Amino acid sequence: MKSLSLSVISASILAAAASVSAPIAFADTELKHDSEYVIDGKVYGLPEAKVYREDYSGPAVVGDYLTQVPNLAKLDYEGNKTHNVRMDVFSQKVEVAPGVSYSAWTFGGSVPGPVLHVREGDRVIFKMKNRSDEEVTITKPVKNGSPFLQQVQANTYQNNQPVVNPMPHSMDFHSGTVAAEDKWRTISPGETIEFEWIANYAGTYMYHCGTSSVLMHTAMGQYGAVVVSPKDGYPTDADKEYVLVQSEHYLEEVGDGEFIYNHDAALNRQPSHVTFNGHVGALSDSPLRADEGDRVRLHVLNAGPSGTSSFHVIGAIFDRVWYEGDPRNEWYGMQTVLLGASNSATIDFIVPEEGIYKLVDHEFADAELGAAGALIAGPRKDK
Amino acid sequence: MVKWLGVAGLMFSTLTASPLVLSDPVRINGGEFEPPVLLDKERLSIEINSFMLDATPVTNQLFLDFVKSHPKWQRDNIAALFHDGNYLKHWPQNNAYPDGQADHPVTYVSWFAAREYCAAKGGRLPSLNEWEYASVQYRQQQNISDDDYARNLFAWYSQPKSDEQRVNVNATELSHMYDRVNEWVEDYQLLLTNGDDVDLLSGSCGDGARFLSSFTKANYATFFRYQSRSDYAPQSSTSTMGFRCAYDISSDTIASNGDQL
Repeated sequence: MKSLSLSVISASILAAAASVSAPIAFADTELKHDSEYVIDGKVYGLPEAKVYREDYSGPAVVGDYLTQVPNLAKLDYEGNKTHNVRMDVFSQKVEVAPGVSYSAWTFGGSVPGPVLHVREGDRVIFKMKNRSDEEVTITKPVKNGSPFLQQVQANTYQNNQPVVNPMPHSMDFHSGTVAAEDKWRTISPGETIEFEWIANYAGTYMYHCGTSSVLMHTAMGQYGAVVVSPKDGYPTDADKEYVLVQSEHYLEEVGDGEFIYNHDAALNRQPSHVTFNGHVGALSDSPLRADEGDRVRLHVLNAGPSGTSSFHVIGAIFDRVWYEGDPRNEWYGMQTVLLGASNSATIDFIVPEEGIYKLVDHEFADAELGAAGALIAGPRKDK
Repeated sequence: MVKWLGVAGLMFSTLTASPLVLSDPVRINGGEFEPPVLLDKERLSIEINSFMLDATPVTNQLFLDFVKSHPKWQRDNIAALFHDGNYLKHWPQNNAYPDGQADHPVTYVSWFAAREYCAAKGGRLPSLNEWEYASVQYRQQQNISDDDYARNLFAWYSQPKSDEQRVNVNATELSHMYDRVNEWVEDYQLLLTNGDDVDLLSGSCGDGARFLSSFTKANYATFFRYQSRSDYAPQSSTSTMGFRCAYDISSDTIASNGDQL
């Protein structure tokens, strides 16, 4: 108790000092709860999660800064902000390759789930209802849904359809620094969990279900990316910015076009498919777009669950690489970035000429299983 | 074997004299059980006493009979404490199950309701070890290989809705242990969150091997069943949770039946 009160005191002193040095830009980082304290400008000590039952059948994804991969929402605000984010967990039939669909466990109804974009220092008030025992449709227009839902409706490349498969689930944001047994706790079908986290560190982070078997829950589709943009930005200015999530799928056919998860294959690390953004054709049917001379920025996350990614763009050299997306982890002139499971990198490259630039996992066994896409560059625009 | 089980079951049902028991419970002969999941690292082997177990999961028809005779367990009357709001939500009326589903396992039943049903039958929910012990015998009876067992179990969890949900209410041997519903057991929360003696990591970071007597596919599958069910609340009422009841064997029964424990 003694050390706790000491840290609260030092926290308020630090907070006071911070508000003097940067009174406007980060005013919203003020401590909100008595339990909170600050070390090196980062906020810790968030209140306990709340678990309750609510009568909710509204949009499954709510928040202005949630998008469908490869899109990234524009941060149209100065300084810091508190985000109210809802991402419900439920089952959904998704297609990962032509003629290959399975009943996925999802956040928000797609695999990977929505991309959340915030700024370093932002506060996220997160809410998630376990709706796995009800049918949730994400392909019909809804009021007050996030841009993610509109984008899925405009580009339903996974042919998302509701299915029922009740399971306990949880949410683990790698972008948060909290006591996991509290915030990342498992909730039963019908329960809602609500908790807060602060985006203390810049970077691109994985989120996923942490409920046992975590291998099965992630392989079933429960993962996605949070992009935390640095409070002072990156040293360069990108013309185009995209998010790419690589993952493995372990499926076997059990009927005509019916596929199910194969746990044996998952344990043996023998994926049936490896995809960018959840479909072997996601980035070839709808390639990324840029123009000759553009500086393209990719936030690449390897969600695994068990494999690595040797990410490469054919015809380009990575001008800058910020490993894990932290601007302090800066590398130059890289041909390939190696990402372990749940590692990420923010990558800048210059598009040298008009043409097609293939994005691959240079571990070609993975590329053969689907980890390939393209960026199409138009002619150079006058700068 | 099958015939013998039937005889034992018949004796039992006459003893309980319950008109609602349609199929006879089957006798599970006791013996040594090596748990696939080591809940207690000091106990590699457990002695299981003989007991009776329903041959199939409890059906909609049986559960309807129960709620008719126990009105406080009807959907409109059940105490809020005992369910999560979805109790029997698939039934069109308070006292009616969906057409054509008399012989489907009842679902949307909380652990509390399942316990109450079994108590009303003169039984109880099986313990986790009893259920798993019976499961091993079932695999032997059905000639299900360990690999097939594991594969089918994960397949069921990844896609539990099958078109075929009927059970044979006249079954004379254990049936549908894996392919219809996930089943409540008495001590289902044993592993994760019950009491003070909770494992530090709770297996939640994919560290299943620490809990398994040997890291086989079958044990891993069983571990998954333990854990995923353990995350439910006792109020949870879902489309995939059902149950079957167990019954103690009285010493009179054993004496008259001439069997050993």
